[in-house]
Amino acid sequence: METSGATTSDTEVSKTDSSMAVPSIESGELESFSYDDAIVRLFATATIIWALVGTLAGLIVAVLLVMPSISEGIPFINFARLRPLHTNAAIFAFAGNAIFAAVYYSTQRLCKARMWSDVLSRLHFWGWQLIIVLAAVTIPFGITQSREYAELEWPIDLLIAVVWLFIFGGNFLMTLIKRRERHMYVALWFYIATIITVAVLHVFNNLCVPAGWFKGYSVYAGVQDAFMQWWYGHNAVAFFLTTPFLGLMYYFLPKAADRPVFSYKLSIIHFWSLVFIYIWAGPHHLHFTALPEWASTLGMLFSVMLWMPSWGGMINGLLTLRGAWHKVAADPVLKFFVVGVTFYGMSTFEGPMLSVKSVNALSHYTDWTIAHVHSGALGWNGFMAFGMLYWLLPRIYQTKIWSDKLVSLHFWTGTIGILLYIIPIYAAGLMQGLMWRAMDETGNLMYPDFVETVQSIVFLWWLRVLGGLLYVSGVCMLCFNTLMTWFARPATYDVPVYTAPKLSKSYSEAKPAKDTEYNEVPMLDLGKNMSVWAKMGWHRRWERLPVTFTILVTIAVVGATLFEAVPTFLIRSNIPTIATVEPYTPLELYGRHIYVSEGCYNCHSQMIRPMVAETKRYGEYSKPGEFIYDRPFQWGSRRIGPDLAREGGRQSSFWHWRHFENPAEVSPGSVMPSYQHLLNEELKFDSIAPHVKAAWYLGAPYDDEALNNTSEVAYKQAERVAAEIVSQGGPANKMDRKAVALIAYLQRIGVDLFKTPAPEQPAADAEAPAEGSEEAAEAEAEVADNASPSNASAG
Amino acid sequence: MIRDIVSYLDYSVCAEIALALFVGTFAMITYAALRLSKNATDRFASIPLSDQPQDPRSE
Repeated sequence: METSGATTSDTEVSKTDSSMAVPSIESGELESFSYDDAIVRLFATATIIWALVGTLAGLIVAVLLVMPSISEGIPFINFARLRPLHTNAAIFAFAGNAIFAAVYYSTQRLCKARMWSDVLSRLHFWGWQLIIVLAAVTIPFGITQSREYAELEWPIDLLIAVVWLFIFGGNFLMTLIKRRERHMYVALWFYIATIITVAVLHVFNNLCVPAGWFKGYSVYAGVQDAFMQWWYGHNAVAFFLTTPFLGLMYYFLPKAADRPVFSYKLSIIHFWSLVFIYIWAGPHHLHFTALPEWASTLGMLFSVMLWMPSWGGMINGLLTLRGAWHKVAADPVLKFFVVGVTFYGMSTFEGPMLSVKSVNALSHYTDWTIAHVHSGALGWNGFMAFGMLYWLLPRIYQTKIWSDKLVSLHFWTGTIGILLYIIPIYAAGLMQGLMWRAMDETGNLMYPDFVETVQSIVFLWWLRVLGGLLYVSGVCMLCFNTLMTWFARPATYDVPVYTAPKLSKSYSEAKPAKDTEYNEVPMLDLGKNMSVWAKMGWHRRWERLPVTFTILVTIAVVGATLFEAVPTFLIRSNIPTIATVEPYTPLELYGRHIYVSEGCYNCHSQMIRPMVAETKRYGEYSKPGEFIYDRPFQWGSRRIGPDLAREGGRQSSFWHWRHFENPAEVSPGSVMPSYQHLLNEELKFDSIAPHVKAAWYLGAPYDDEALNNTSEVAYKQAERVAAEIVSQGGPANKMDRKAVALIAYLQRIGVDLFKTPAPEQPAADAEAPAEGSEEAAEAEAEVADNASPSNASAG
Repeated sequence: MIRDIVSYLDYSVCAEIALALFVGTFAMITYAALRLSKNATDRFASIPLSDQPQDPRSE
C-alpha cells in the first residue's frame, strides 16, 4: 500500500525550536530512566473492576425493563435512575480507565520517557476513581443534570475538569515535551485530540448557574441547550470512545501482531479527517426537532462524510494483520482486536446511515439507536479494551496469563453475547418504529395505544437480557483470569532501566527538500513548490512539536464548533418567539426538578416531530419557541413510554396520582415502575426558592411575588392541584407531597402554545412576531411581566 | 450598536464556509500524505514496535 513518493534528499541542519524544548538526539547526553508500570497496573485493575460493575449495571437495568415491579417502588433502584449509572459506569469508569491504562503504557514507550510526574499520575488515578464513586453515589439519589453522558452535577464537573485537564493533560503534555523520541507517533496525536476536545466539550456543555450544592441550571435553554448537549453527546462518543481507542489500536495492534501499521499515510488522513469532521456531526441527533433545519442538515452531511475516514481507519487496522492472519487463528488477543476493529467498521457505517434524515425518522427514539450504541460499546470499546488487557496482563504482572483457554472462552462468550444483544434490539427498534408510523386505510394509526407497541417487543428485551448475561459472564472470566495471574506474579517486579540520549532544545531537523524530481523539468515554479510542499516537511515538523500540534488540534475543534454554535445562538429566527409562552410557576419549576431527578427523560421524550404519525398520536408538533424556559431541555432520546410534549391537560390530575402509585393499574401493560415514594415524600416548599432565583438569574421574568414569597406562591398552587385531585376522587390533604409538584409540571407541559394572549394585548402581539423584531421581544417581555406565576394555570 | 451589527450579519453562509473549509483541508492533507516518502513513513510506523530507545534518528 505504501507507495514511494518523491525521494527525500534531506539535509541535516541545526535548528532551535521556538515553541518548546524539543529534541535533539545528537547531544549525546545519556540519561537513565525506567517506565512507570505501577500506574498502568492500577488503571488496568480499575478497568477490570469497573468493566464488571458497568456491565452488571447494564444487565440489571435490562432486567428492570422487563420486570419493572422488582424495584418494589424503591427509587434508588428503578430503571430511570440506574440507566444513567450504567452509561456513566460503562463510559467513564470502564472505557475511561481502559483509555488511561493504554495512554500510560503506550505514551511512555512511544516517548521513551517515564511519565513526567509520578505524583500527578497517582493524583489522576485516585481523582478519577473518586469521581466515579461520587457519580455512583449521586446518580441513584437523583442528583443529576439529566444531560445524557453529562449527568453529574457542577461540583463533580469541576473536579472532572481539574483532574482531566490539569492533572492528566498537564502530565501528558509535559511527558511529550520531555520525550526522548523525536517523532510523535500517530497514537499520540489521537491522545492529544482526546485530551483537548474532551476538555472543551466538558467545560462548555456544563456551564451552569448553581442553585445549591446538588443542583445547577444550564446557562443554555431549550433549542440551544439541545444543540450544546448533542454537540457534547456526539463528540463524547467521538473523542472519548473513538479517538483514544484509535490511539490504542494504532499502538497495541502493531505490538500484538508484531508488525508496523499497514499505512502510516492513511493514519495521517484518518486522524485529520476525524478531527475536522466529527465535531460538526452532533446535530444529527436532533433531526426533525425544533433545531434549525440548516444545522441538522449540516450535521447529516458531515456524518455521512465521516464514513470515509472511519473506514480508512478500520482498513488500516485490519490490514496491519496482512501476512499475519495465521496468528489471529492462534492468538485470542488478536481475535479480540479483529472483532473490535470490525465492530468499529460496522458502527461507523451504521452511524452515518442513521444520520440520514429519512432513516433517522424511523430509527430515532427506538431501540435501533440502543443497538447501534451497544454494537460500538460492547464490540469496539469492550473488545479493544479486553484485547489490550490480555496483552498487557502478562507484561505488567511479569508472568504468564493464568489460562489461555479462559481467554478464548471469554472471546467466544463475549462475541455471542454481543450478537444476542444487538440482533433482537435491532429487531425491536425496527418493529416499534414501524408500528408507531403504521396507518390504516382510513388514515388513522394502526397502533394508537402506545403500550401495545411496547408489549410487542418485550420478548426481544428478554433476549437482550440473555445476551447481556453472556457478555457479563465473559467479564467475570476476565476478572478471574486476572486474579489468578496476579497471584502468580513475582515477589518484586523487575524494573528495567533504559539508557538513552537526552534531547535538547537544538536539534538537526530534516530540512524540507528544496529539490524535487521536477527540478530539471520545464514547468512553472508553482508546480515545483507544490511538489516540495507535498513532501510534508511542514507536517513532520508539526509531528515533533507537541505544543504546536495541540494548538492546531484545538483550532480545528474550536473553529468547527464556532461555525455551528455562533449561528445557532445569534440568529433570532432560529427560535421564533411565542408570546404566550411563560416561565414555569415556582411549583411547576420544582415539579420539573423532580421530573429531571427521577430521570423521566430516559423513557419519555418531549419533542413531537412534524410527522403525521406523530401529530396524530401526540398532538401539534413542537415549536422552538416553546422551550425558551427549559433548563435543561427534556427532549429525550428514547421512547420507552409515550412522548409528553403535549401532556398538559391530557389526563386528570388524579389519573397522574394513580399512575405514579401503580402505572399498570391505569395503563395496563405499562413497563413503568411505581413511583409510590412521590406520594409519600414531603414537598419542602422552602427548598423551591433557589430554583426560582436561578431561573430568574438566567432570564426567566419572575415578578417580585414569585421571587420573594416563593413558598407561599407554590403552596397556593399546590392547594389548587390537591383540591383538583380530591374533586376527581383522590385522597385529601396531599398538597405537601412531591407528586403534587410533579403533577403541576406535567399539566403545564405543552399548553402555553394554545393559550389565548392576555386581553389587554393588541391582537398582533399574540401572533408569532416577525423574525428578530424588537417589538417581538418587548411584547414577550410585557406578557411575561404581566403574568403572575400563580395565575399560570396548571391546566 | 453591537446588537444591531450582529443582527444584520448574515450567518447563513457559515454552513457553506464550513464545507469548503473541510473539503479544502481534506484535499490538502490527502494529497500531501500520499506523497510522503516511504522511507519516512516506514520509520514512523515502526516506532511502537520497540520499547527500547532506538539509535538516534535524524527525523
